Amino acid sequence: MSIVPKETIEVIAQSIGINSLSPDVALALAPDVEYRMREIMQEAIKCMHHSKRTMLTTDDVDSALNLRNVELIYGFASGDPLRFKRAVGHKDLFYIDDKDLDFKDVIEAPLPKAPLDTSIVCHWLAIEGVQPAIPENAPVEVIAAPSDNKKPEQKDDLPVDIKLPVKHVLSRELQLYFDKITDLAVTRSDSVLFKEALESLATDSGLHPLVPYFTYFIADEVSRGLNNFRLLFALMRLVGSLLQNPHIHIEPYLHQLMPSVVTCLVAKRLGNRFADNHWELRDFTANLVASICKRFGHVYNNLQTRLTKTLVHTLLDPKRAMTQHYGAIQGLAALGPNVVRLLVLPNLETYMKLLEPEMLLEKQKNEMKRYEAWRVYGALLRASGQCIYDRLKLFPLLSSLPPNAVWRTNGRVVTAMPNNKRKANADLLEQQPPHKKVATDGPMVIQSNNSMPSDIRGDLGVAAPLGDSEAVPSSSSSSRRIPSEGISGSSGSRVSSSRGGDQALKMSAVLNQAWKDDLNSGRLLVSLFELFGEGIFNFIPSPEMSLFL
Amino acid sequence: MDEEEIEKAVIAYLKKKGFKQTELAFQEEQQHHTKNSSSNSSSSTDPDIAKHLLSFSESDNVPAQYHDGYSKLRSWTYSSLDLYKHELIRVLYPVFVHCFMDLVAKGHIQEARNFFNSFREDHEMMHLRDLQKLEGVLSPCHLEEMEFAHSLRQSKVNLKICQYSYELLLQYLHKTQSITMLGVINEHINFQVSPGQPSSISDDEGVTLVGSGQDAANLINQKEIHWGLLEDSLEERLEKAGSLLSDLEKVDGESKEGDLDESKKRAVEGGKQGASLKKLKKDKVVGATGKAARIETNTVPAAPRVKSELTLPAMPTEVEHSILEDLRNRVQLSSSALPSVSFYTFINTHNGLNCSSISHDGSLVAGGFSDSSLKVWDMAKFGQQTGSSILQGENDFATSEHVLGADGGKRYYTLFRGHSGPVYSASFSPFGDFLLSSSSDSTIRLWSTKLNANLVCYKGHNYPVWDVQFSPLGHYFASASHDRTARIWSVDRIQPLRIMAGHLSDVDCVRWHSNCNYIATGSSDKTVRLWDVQSGECVRIFIGHRSMVLSLAMSPDGRYMASGDEDGTIMMWDLSSGRCVTPLVGHTSCVWTLAFSCEGSLLASGSADCTVKLWDVTASTKVLKTEENKTGSTNRLRSLKTLPTKSTPVYTLQFSRRNLLFAAGALSKSV
Repeated sequence: MSIVPKETIEVIAQSIGINSLSPDVALALAPDVEYRMREIMQEAIKCMHHSKRTMLTTDDVDSALNLRNVELIYGFASGDPLRFKRAVGHKDLFYIDDKDLDFKDVIEAPLPKAPLDTSIVCHWLAIEGVQPAIPENAPVEVIAAPSDNKKPEQKDDLPVDIKLPVKHVLSRELQLYFDKITDLAVTRSDSVLFKEALESLATDSGLHPLVPYFTYFIADEVSRGLNNFRLLFALMRLVGSLLQNPHIHIEPYLHQLMPSVVTCLVAKRLGNRFADNHWELRDFTANLVASICKRFGHVYNNLQTRLTKTLVHTLLDPKRAMTQHYGAIQGLAALGPNVVRLLVLPNLETYMKLLEPEMLLEKQKNEMKRYEAWRVYGALLRASGQCIYDRLKLFPLLSSLPPNAVWRTNGRVVTAMPNNKRKANADLLEQQPPHKKVATDGPMVIQSNNSMPSDIRGDLGVAAPLGDSEAVPSSSSSSRRIPSEGISGSSGSRVSSSRGGDQALKMSAVLNQAWKDDLNSGRLLVSLFELFGEGIFNFIPSPEMSLFL
Repeated sequence: MDEEEIEKAVIAYLKKKGFKQTELAFQEEQQHHTKNSSSNSSSSTDPDIAKHLLSFSESDNVPAQYHDGYSKLRSWTYSSLDLYKHELIRVLYPVFVHCFMDLVAKGHIQEARNFFNSFREDHEMMHLRDLQKLEGVLSPCHLEEMEFAHSLRQSKVNLKICQYSYELLLQYLHKTQSITMLGVINEHINFQVSPGQPSSISDDEGVTLVGSGQDAANLINQKEIHWGLLEDSLEERLEKAGSLLSDLEKVDGESKEGDLDESKKRAVEGGKQGASLKKLKKDKVVGATGKAARIETNTVPAAPRVKSELTLPAMPTEVEHSILEDLRNRVQLSSSALPSVSFYTFINTHNGLNCSSISHDGSLVAGGFSDSSLKVWDMAKFGQQTGSSILQGENDFATSEHVLGADGGKRYYTLFRGHSGPVYSASFSPFGDFLLSSSSDSTIRLWSTKLNANLVCYKGHNYPVWDVQFSPLGHYFASASHDRTARIWSVDRIQPLRIMAGHLSDVDCVRWHSNCNYIATGSSDKTVRLWDVQSGECVRIFIGHRSMVLSLAMSPDGRYMASGDEDGTIMMWDLSSGRCVTPLVGHTSCVWTLAFSCEGSLLASGSADCTVKLWDVTASTKVLKTEENKTGSTNRLRSLKTLPTKSTPVYTLQFSRRNLLFAAGALSKSV
């Protein structure tokens, strides 16, 4: 019934010489013993608290007994808390491990050292609220830990003084991996092993902890190794592989990575040897840049704008080397035809004026420079061509125009070619009104027979006068060119309109818009043709090409 | 219902009680009755009465009834409507306790124990300590002996409950015929039925089964108190006029406070001039006695002024000057300007340090030890201490022993011997020239730090004196003892001036209000009381702690009080309303000490979990004010900073007059 069993009472009774204790007495005493014990413990706990301790000692029990006017229990005094041992096989039975001491040993032992006397040491626990890092104070980790726990409850603007240093533990394997890869990139970038390493970089899932290190490595090596073409190429491949890896979250490191990449695109010199095919590196890097923009453009919303700004700036600076121009053009071209159309083509004409003398044998004696100029020309041609191809590709191939019409236009163009610069302005002015009339007719014609090629042609016709009226002062060459085209176009459309007759008389705003777009592309093509000559035709799909010609 | 059954029950009862004669007579009469009037069945017994009688006949099965009744009530409560559940659950604890005590009182000890153990888990969270106490009750006489149980038996528990919950409960009790439970509830619970919705769970402050009860406390707490500061205090004067010497008409009596040079200063804060000198703690001596001035409205931002009810000692001019100097050089503390903390670590104490005390200027540190000794260190003599100190006199007086430090340096302490039991508390007089110590030998001793000698031994308490404290102006002091009283003394009398009785258990700590008219006592009965020094009456009872109150601190403006308990909870109380402003939760172990900064903007707490925590007091009090307008949500004090020590529990905290915080503790490797 109570914690103290009556057997205990009986044993105690026997130990003090009462042999015949009636069981009733034991039964009655047991609960009372428990109660008294609890009472003593309660008092002992009070004494413990007043001794500013949280661990109960025998002294406290003695004090409690003293309070109750009970004889103390002698022999258990100890300065230290008692060490209890768990009895083997019992869950909550403890005993004090009391060793037997031989008196002889005690007597013969040398006198123990006198205990040190109590004293006081003084230190600063805090100076104006901040704990100085001195040995007397608790180490910083201990300080930081509770401040973490505290954080959620103190939402307000309390300054947190101690910031935990970010611990970045890199496993041994990762370290080895990193060392191996960097070593390969620096020394044996053309080996098969490096290819495999790139493969691994592009696919392994556990590499994320290494990304900051790779980023740093790349940035560091690029800035140091601008003369080492092979190294640069290897590094760019590294970047490419990292970008490919679907498990890596590379976005936070882009701002560190981009400068190195752009450097590899538009640097004046990449590699120090003539044989270094830095063009290839630039092309590769351009694609890299484009893929970065495509992937992270929506996250870093100013990524592409900043990039294109840099590139266009490079391109338009006549003082920059041809190699830099080449890189800029390639970079822009890789970003897509729209970029080219918006940023390159408007500047194309002025640029060509710069470029042309460089390309000519008589003007530029330095073969190297000339070669570079031709490279740039090629890149420019390709970019514009792709752009125009992209435009034209939009239209379904449906050639419903009668071949004779094509022939006629073709003939016109061909004839126009030699004397394209001979047309008089007066002629042009005369022709304007009829052209405008045609222009209003144009859409209806298109609508009537749904033929895109004719559309284009019509546009060409229409485009000419419009562009003319708008841009007469600015671009003389195109204006001179356009009339001839316009004639051919208008003649074509006239044919179709006469054929299509009065079937289609409706006009819709939607189509109007589409017509405007087409108009632009038509104009574009014309101006390109003007600049590049027949070179541009390679980029025009054959049906349109044939149509055009 | 059947008449025969009733008769059987009656016979059984008579047999059990041993009324053999009556039994025989009854049987005889019964036979006679049946013979005579078998046809006359006029005995139309009320079925209800029959039931009652039958239920009484089952009384030999009382324990089971309690057990069943309670467990049914419990399961019904737990499955009741959510909206009313928390109110009904509150009923369970008093029912449980009283069921247990009823069982014990009726002698069913074993069953009581079983009952207790099977349901104690429900209440352990809220009432662990009460349960631990009750667990020991094992015989009816224990109930009488144990004060806690006795007071529980005597008083009724007040429970607020809403109309509907009350009806639900009654309905249930009647429907299930649980007469035992009904009896317990009727006998021991006093329902305060309120119309309308049940109270929200948040203001469920738990059922306090303290004997005097909330009612008495409320009654007491309606008394008026004048918590304002004393008139004509030094601070006030400093504010009024730059020239201080003009109005020093000093009374030359009270030579007790002997002249002393209080000019040893710690220069640590010396450079920080221009701290503003607002309403403050140290009060100026007022020669005149008088009843308390009328209280001023509590809404006045500056603390109102009251007159002292005590004859206060005169302050020597030099002391006053030095204090004024301190006040001028005070550093203004706030949540953004935290104090510097100087920590005194006791080493090699061998678990013997019971208490420590630091004088107001931090130059003297006293330690009370379990070997009855009291040791005083003069920190000004430490080479490492900054600031020059003017050593007063020679220290080689007769009773003191100078001990050389082990490591060669001259580490002096003065040993005071006189007590015959562990020293539990020590307190320096405001000017550091006297030291009081209280001990387990139930005496208080007054020591002079100038003469290094024991001056007086105050005998009056009958049991260990847990705490002693000088009044803010000296001359008077208060003591708290295991004999459940707190006493007020003056240094020149060996008999106490007032005895404050009322606590139901040990008085563990005592603190003076800053205007000297009140003292606060914290007790093992989990309450804090405020007493009027002049009348000796209890003027406030603060109920809310869940364990023994270990430390107290009074705010310098006299408006608030903080108390810390064994569980690590600190509570902030508004003295005028007697309500808890906010509990401060953060410490994980006993809060040994609390201290307000001198302008009252910060509270520092030291705990057994080896940390000093700083709390923002101004934030909390502001919240309190706004809370009345809008139902504020974040009314908890901000914990500004936790300063962990290197395994040193913090025993004492003391703000100097210049707002430097001193802390002391004994290095304990085991913690």
